[in-house]
Amino acid sequence: MPIELIFLFQQIVNGLLLGCYYLLIALGLSIIFSLGGIVNLAHGAFYAIGAYLVVTLTKHMDYGYAFVVSPIIVAILGMAIERLFLRRFYKSDPTLSLLFTFALSMIIEQSLRMIYGASPLAFAVPKFAHGQLVVGDFFYPYYRVGMLGVAVLAVAGTWFLLNKTAFGKIVKAGINDPDMVRAMGISLSPIMTAVAGLGIGLAGLAGVLLAPITGVQPAMGQEILTAAFVVVVIGGLGSFWGVVAAAILVGVIRGLTAYFYPPASEASLYLLMLLILILRPRGLLGERVERLE
Amino acid sequence: MSPTELKKLSLVVLGLILLPVVLSWGGLTYSTAVECVVLALAGLALNILLGYTGLVSFGHGAWFGIGGYAMGILQLRVFEGSTWLPLVSAIFIVAAISVVVGFLVLRRRGVYFSLLTLAFGALCFAVAYRWTALTGGENGLGGIERYPVLGLNLDNGHTLYAFVAVIALIIVTFLLRLSNSPFGHVLTAIRENEQRTQFIGFNVKSYKLLAFVISATITGLAGALGVLSHRIASAESMSLAFSGELLAIALIGGMRSFSGPIFGALFYILFREYLSMYTDNWLLYFGLIFVFFILVTPQGLVWIGSRLYRAVIPEKTTSAAMGQRVIPTDPDFFPTFLLSDTSPQLECKDITKSFGGIKAVAGVNLKVAGKGVHALIGPNGAGKTSLFNLISGMFSADTGSVRLAQHNLAGETANRICTKGLSRSFQITNLFKGLSVRGNLELAVLARDPNRFSLTKRLETLPKTQSQTDELVRYLGVQGMEGALAEDLSYGGQRLVDMGLALGSAPHILLLDEPLAGLAAAERDRIGKLIRRLGDRIGVLLVEHDVDRVFSMADKITVMNQGEVLIEGDAQTVRTDARVREIYIGSGSQALAAKVVASKLTDEYVLSVSDLNAFYGKSHILSDISFQARKGEVIAVLGRNGAGKSTLLKSLLGLARLGSGVIGIANHKISTPVPEIMARLGVAFVPQGRRLFPGLTVRDNLMLGRLKRSGKGSNGWSDEQIFDVFPRLKERYLVDASLLSGGEQQMVAIARALAGHVQVLLLDEPFEGLSPAMTEEVFNAILALKTKVTILIVDHNLDLALAISDTAVVLDRGRISHQGSAYELLTDLEFRKEKLWI
Repeated sequence: MPIELIFLFQQIVNGLLLGCYYLLIALGLSIIFSLGGIVNLAHGAFYAIGAYLVVTLTKHMDYGYAFVVSPIIVAILGMAIERLFLRRFYKSDPTLSLLFTFALSMIIEQSLRMIYGASPLAFAVPKFAHGQLVVGDFFYPYYRVGMLGVAVLAVAGTWFLLNKTAFGKIVKAGINDPDMVRAMGISLSPIMTAVAGLGIGLAGLAGVLLAPITGVQPAMGQEILTAAFVVVVIGGLGSFWGVVAAAILVGVIRGLTAYFYPPASEASLYLLMLLILILRPRGLLGERVERLE
Repeated sequence: MSPTELKKLSLVVLGLILLPVVLSWGGLTYSTAVECVVLALAGLALNILLGYTGLVSFGHGAWFGIGGYAMGILQLRVFEGSTWLPLVSAIFIVAAISVVVGFLVLRRRGVYFSLLTLAFGALCFAVAYRWTALTGGENGLGGIERYPVLGLNLDNGHTLYAFVAVIALIIVTFLLRLSNSPFGHVLTAIRENEQRTQFIGFNVKSYKLLAFVISATITGLAGALGVLSHRIASAESMSLAFSGELLAIALIGGMRSFSGPIFGALFYILFREYLSMYTDNWLLYFGLIFVFFILVTPQGLVWIGSRLYRAVIPEKTTSAAMGQRVIPTDPDFFPTFLLSDTSPQLECKDITKSFGGIKAVAGVNLKVAGKGVHALIGPNGAGKTSLFNLISGMFSADTGSVRLAQHNLAGETANRICTKGLSRSFQITNLFKGLSVRGNLELAVLARDPNRFSLTKRLETLPKTQSQTDELVRYLGVQGMEGALAEDLSYGGQRLVDMGLALGSAPHILLLDEPLAGLAAAERDRIGKLIRRLGDRIGVLLVEHDVDRVFSMADKITVMNQGEVLIEGDAQTVRTDARVREIYIGSGSQALAAKVVASKLTDEYVLSVSDLNAFYGKSHILSDISFQARKGEVIAVLGRNGAGKSTLLKSLLGLARLGSGVIGIANHKISTPVPEIMARLGVAFVPQGRRLFPGLTVRDNLMLGRLKRSGKGSNGWSDEQIFDVFPRLKERYLVDASLLSGGEQQMVAIARALAGHVQVLLLDEPFEGLSPAMTEEVFNAILALKTKVTILIVDHNLDLALAISDTAVVLDRGRISHQGSAYELLTDLEFRKEKLWI
């Protein structure tokens, strides 16, 4: 195989990988939004917390434990935030919830800066994942292959949870008709908390996975957050497969521009969004939802 | 210029003079003062969108940055040696870009608008950061000079401050006038109620776009001034963080007041300058303060200030309630702007509209004369409001045409339809709640004023709008309460203002959707007469459930049923028509009467309702309802549309707001019902329109019905029991509920209710929209439940409802007007007429 082609292929796989992280973040954003009507601008900050946690915890325990514990801590934090604050904003004017979650992200980012300092923390790929997968001329780091697997598992797990369990069915019913769900004797309040925990936990997991690749610094949440929003806008808020398709599309296009014309790798994403917006104002698979209009 | 404007501006001048002096006493420099003014300008500009129009822009830093870069790049590359030219050109560049961007992002509203502006900001940041050749990348764009302007040496800090302050003063003057202008008032209207703004005839999109462009351009100017002061342009100003700080400035200062962002900017600067002396993490504390304001006082510093001021100097109390109203002395008074020589006819031809497979309006032909009261009546779900929505442009019809005189209205936007002489009121009150009564009416009148787009005139000085508003106020009889906020009015007052909004558009044809619903008797009389007199001058199409009044006042009546026109004629024709009577009170069918099974009931009561009062918004829907239901008893709740039947069912479950009263279920007494608790106690609800969970199968729907209502002692049905009564559901078990036919959906809805613990089954319109064969099947299924569960049934098909029931409870305007045996009402049609017809 010619070397250019292998390079290209690698960029596409890199793009897919990136798409998976966007997906972890965007999916969480999307489900929290669908049920409570809140766009969580602090989602990127929780991603950063996930990354900082895994760095801190690996100093005290095995990477394997830290890998499992960190997202769970982030999820619990998310549930606490939902209980204390987010639930005040359900069904109210979205202006205040946007401003609140933005302010929250500001506080989290500044707290991380205060505790850990502004400069990036070094975090190496764990030893067991060193090395590269080689298939013919194509080679790819083990760690990234593993990450891809974990990300796909997490997305599949979320899909299973939302589509195949009673919990998921309550969520689905609650999105469409919360009053009827309550009329069936089902209280939505613990469901809301669980959904916030799930969505924010996914962001934490993305942070844990990306920590050795992007570097760990206080503002890391912001960039991925805006990218995740682009994914959500392209895919359509609240649409599972729309978000999946958009995340992969955005990831791959970014991977390719990074190869052909690196300076435009960020801008390409927004231009893609503009294009989709002109052609399909509600996103790829978005449906008309009155409260978003 | 008005006295209040002069007062405010002189305060601004005073502030601009004192600012650098006071800051220098505090050890801060002139460049800090410049920054404070620049941020205040940006905050004021952002607030045009945030506070006035209600649009949250998360990308405003982008405009600040574009203005700055444009200034820098132009000075370095095009207009070398000049400050003036690049500054002015930068403003035009920002304006041009914002027209294009605004056009795109304003295609979406609400949350999506915020996300799009956020993405736009991120795009600009990425470009500024990466396009090093143009912007200097991460090092920023340096080397910008302050060349003299008009011989002033801007390198001197004092002169620069004066230069910036003068520009700021000009902008503030412009913005202050804008806030009092017709344009500014329309922006507020959009924030309060975008839909209604459109329906009174404003082209909402153009207003939003202009607001966006003005806001972006002033922010860009602020950015350019900032660059002039710092001599360097950097990508930081395009970051999300800076956009957020601008939002914080507007919110902390007070986004609902003109001067809020000015105080917000001052607060931000002082906070930053002093706190950063002690800690590097001042932004953390700023974020905490931001959160504090959002959670505790979203009205901001200005509000706190005015509260403190009021605590020292109390406000003179002026009460502006309905009580202060002066009833007009001249009943023959009629607004001049409503008089017109032409009376064009409204003609609807063959209009059809389907929603999700159900034909809401099916081939309706309707002519409404340019003068007279034309009433549209029919049972719930007949398609009356849908027809209104199609005519007034809320939805577009699938087929058919709507013409008003020579204009074709089909496919037009609501505001164009309004401008052409057709306006409407809304069934659910749809006002600018946060504005005064006069403010509401003024807007409707303003939509016809050629100055409606003016930025430079004051609304209160437009003679035509003001005099016509005076007439409208007088005509409606709302003098003395003009200053009251619409949301503080009684329900009747709100209905009146809703009609006034439609009248302000000076329509040739006026559509009124239940203008009398929820009004007290005296008010009904007064508004009824007012509508009658309107009908002598313009064409009125009226949907109203008070059939007596309709018969007494309408020139022509059209009766609709199941989306079609049933009959059209004068009151006498309609009143005596057998088909009309049948859809309202049924036929007293003997065949059904034969099916009636007299049930033997014990004296065990499972449901008791005492002194129930319920409200919808401000409307008192149920008054002092008391009744009891025995175990296994079936009670038909009857009454006209709007009598409170559905509300009664919903309040038993806790879905409607309960004013007072106690509900007893078995041994539990509840005065504050919560749906999930009531459901678990055994109140099972089959709502109007089924409301199955779409996207879930029949199995999952039943599963959710059972999930939390099947504890110890539950009498919930197993799937096998359900299939015995509804054998069809066995075949449909794994089908998505939203794909079922109407009758099957109804069966699932009943089965879902029965799958859990049931003490009382509430059936709201179980036969609505079903074919005759399906109706029979559902009827037989409900009949099979008789004596097994206690049932409350509401249905506009009286024959069916009565045939199933043991007892009938008749509601009239929220009160029980009759209570007795169902059989009597079923068989004795004369008796039924007496209790339920006119």
